[in-house]
Amino acid sequence: MAISVEHFSRTYTTSTGTVPAVDDLSFQVSAGEIVGLIGPNGAGKTTTLRALAGILKPTSGHVRIDGHDLMAEPIEAKRRLAFMPDEPHLFEYLTVAEHLRLIARLYTVEDFERRSRALLDELELTGKEDSLPGELSRGMRQKVVIACGLVRSATTLLFDEPLTGLDPLGIRRMRETIASRAREGAAILLSSHLLHLVEEVCTRVMIMDRGRKIADGTFEELRTRAELAQAGSSLEQIFLRVTGHDIPSGQP
Amino acid sequence: MLGASLYIIGCSAKNRVRVRLRRLRQPRYLVGAIVGAAYLYFSVFARMGRRGRRAGPRGGPPAAALEALRSGAPAAVGLALLIATAVGWLLPFDSGLLDFSQAEVQFLFPAPVSRRSLLVHRMMRSQIGILLGSIIPALMVQSFSGYARVRISIATWLLLSTAKIYATGVSLARTRLTSTDTRARRVAWLPLTVLGSACAIVAIALWQAFRAAPPGGAQDAIVRIGTVVSHGLPRIVLWPFVALATPLFAPWPGEYLVALLEAALVAAVCVAWVLASDATFQDAAEDVAARKAQQPGPRAVIYRARATGWDLAPSGRAEVAFVWKAAMQTLRVVDMRSLLRLAAIPVAITAGSMAFGRAGGLPAVVGIFALAAAGFTVLMAPQILRVDLRQDLRHLELLKTWPVKGSAVVRGEIAWPGALLTALAWILIGIALALSSANFSRVAIPARLGAAGAAALVAPALVFAQLTIHNGVALMFPAWVPLGSQRARGLDAMGQRIIILGGTWLLLAIMVLPGVLAGAIVWFAFSVIVGPMALIPGAVACAVVVGIEVLAATEALGPLYERMDVLAVERTE
Repeated sequence: MAISVEHFSRTYTTSTGTVPAVDDLSFQVSAGEIVGLIGPNGAGKTTTLRALAGILKPTSGHVRIDGHDLMAEPIEAKRRLAFMPDEPHLFEYLTVAEHLRLIARLYTVEDFERRSRALLDELELTGKEDSLPGELSRGMRQKVVIACGLVRSATTLLFDEPLTGLDPLGIRRMRETIASRAREGAAILLSSHLLHLVEEVCTRVMIMDRGRKIADGTFEELRTRAELAQAGSSLEQIFLRVTGHDIPSGQP
Repeated sequence: MLGASLYIIGCSAKNRVRVRLRRLRQPRYLVGAIVGAAYLYFSVFARMGRRGRRAGPRGGPPAAALEALRSGAPAAVGLALLIATAVGWLLPFDSGLLDFSQAEVQFLFPAPVSRRSLLVHRMMRSQIGILLGSIIPALMVQSFSGYARVRISIATWLLLSTAKIYATGVSLARTRLTSTDTRARRVAWLPLTVLGSACAIVAIALWQAFRAAPPGGAQDAIVRIGTVVSHGLPRIVLWPFVALATPLFAPWPGEYLVALLEAALVAAVCVAWVLASDATFQDAAEDVAARKAQQPGPRAVIYRARATGWDLAPSGRAEVAFVWKAAMQTLRVVDMRSLLRLAAIPVAITAGSMAFGRAGGLPAVVGIFALAAAGFTVLMAPQILRVDLRQDLRHLELLKTWPVKGSAVVRGEIAWPGALLTALAWILIGIALALSSANFSRVAIPARLGAAGAAALVAPALVFAQLTIHNGVALMFPAWVPLGSQRARGLDAMGQRIIILGGTWLLLAIMVLPGVLAGAIVWFAFSVIVGPMALIPGAVACAVVVGIEVLAATEALGPLYERMDVLAVERTE
């Protein structure tokens, strides 16, 4: 199993006390699978992704990447991971090409020059190699973050709102890129509020609310679940029903 | 806009106080506040009391000397203001008045208010900080009555406010110095030309006065400066600067009130000059807005993409990747023009010392300066130069995803600033050694060589030891360490800084002690055989011991980095 999460919990300490962000979450993602992680704001999606990327420590539970425990073997686990956050986080003093070079060095990427050229071309960053992040638009910076994630052969890809800031062509290409990486055998976990993207790209959906997993399965499985059968056929209708926000028929 | 501006200022002040009071519930802020309050009490209020009790007929300097100083002081301060103004044009200082917050950019820029109103808003907003900054020096003045402290506070506030507004005017005018519009360019060059002429007039007058006979001390120098600049052309060109300084020293009531009026007039002229730069402000404000949109955060540094001639190899140790990354950061923020401007300061100091001083020639002045700068580089610069984890904690979310051992991250982070400071210290020690015959002619050459060699060997050990401690503190107490250019404010933050500084010096003493002991033993053993050159093997022993400690400390800090939670890193208010 590429991603294995067992009883993962994470709490935050605030001035008012301890708040659970994710509570006893367990799931798995296999190689070649694209799992959509959806849920309302504050559901715990980003916390889950950040914990999977090694940024946040789990309060309890285990996260394994390709069988490597993220806490016990962080180097081996992180070597297999690529996390593309929603906020493009770049070093403001390194150019686009230098970001890729740095990543290649840290992850020991074979055939880096060819891969980076192809990737820059694929993400329409050709000609921007010598630009600093401050000289790029938000969408461009998002593409640089994605390029840094894809330049290495990660077996596990984590996307947090990957389409934020991209133009229509960029969105289309991004969808194709995600699908092609899955076909090449990567396990992909994708968090997004764009339900049509999830519906189109993902092979499975996991719905979270208030830190807990409340639904998990393929679209067919969700549609045929007894309590959801009457919700409708779209992911949006299922999502609204599961999270308790759907409007009963007959009401405005 | 005035009402809205006052509303923003009032609400901001109220909420800031509320947040600071609320955070005292957390022990780290409470402890910081206690230490900060104790520091303030013992360094200001308790001293006031002691001084007040000591003040008597026999205490303090003679009345005649005081009177002489008081008459010369406004001119001396005015002269200092002239120099500071000239330096303000030379160096890329920013007054901060145009540094609009993100919220101001988002809410006020699109609002139907003129750019001039925005500038007035920023001027008003800056007054609370300046006012607080003006009260502290007044409290520290020896044996003054409460009324005198109020008078000094007002005078200081007027001086600092004018300085801030003038600095903003300089920032605005600087952008027009190379304008394609001939008229705008002329207008921008006018104050610079006037200032340059004023500097030249005063410099020539002082040079003529001091060339014949060097001053007999600080008091004599102040009195003579006062005499020189209160006559003829220097008096005229220095008038605005002296007018700003005079209220600090003028007796109550008549002279003080007149002086205050004159200072207010200078301030009003500065305000009018800045407000007249409306068109430039439009450009500057748009530039600020664009920068804020792309680089959110306080005081974003501007980097310029330029080839550095160092390409990172695609394979090798992770530490080198961190060194390369930090080197790129340094090389892209420092440019030749800034370096030249910076170099102008020691050159000016040296020239000034040559003109006035009794140092005995340029080599002696430069030699002493190099020695002092080397000491500062080794002992203080590791605290100031933060191109390491203290700055990179801002990027912790990114760093934590990298498959790099924690100890390698720590070593990589301290390697570049350590190498940079060591190189600088070596250059300065080399200069000091080369010019040592001017200052230390009585010391034998082998002794000088031994001392310089030992200093060069110990310098990297001390620099890396301090960097290890500072980065270790950042990992152990990340919430106490300001990130990047952030600067936490308040009594509690001041207390935290005092605790961190004290702790750092204590840790450094503990860390260096074994090295010093080992070095002393080796020096003692060798001194019989090689004399003063024994300092070198002693320094080697000290450096080796401290170096081993640094390596061991970075290994120990590795797991701390790996366990560090990104949420432990707190952004300042």
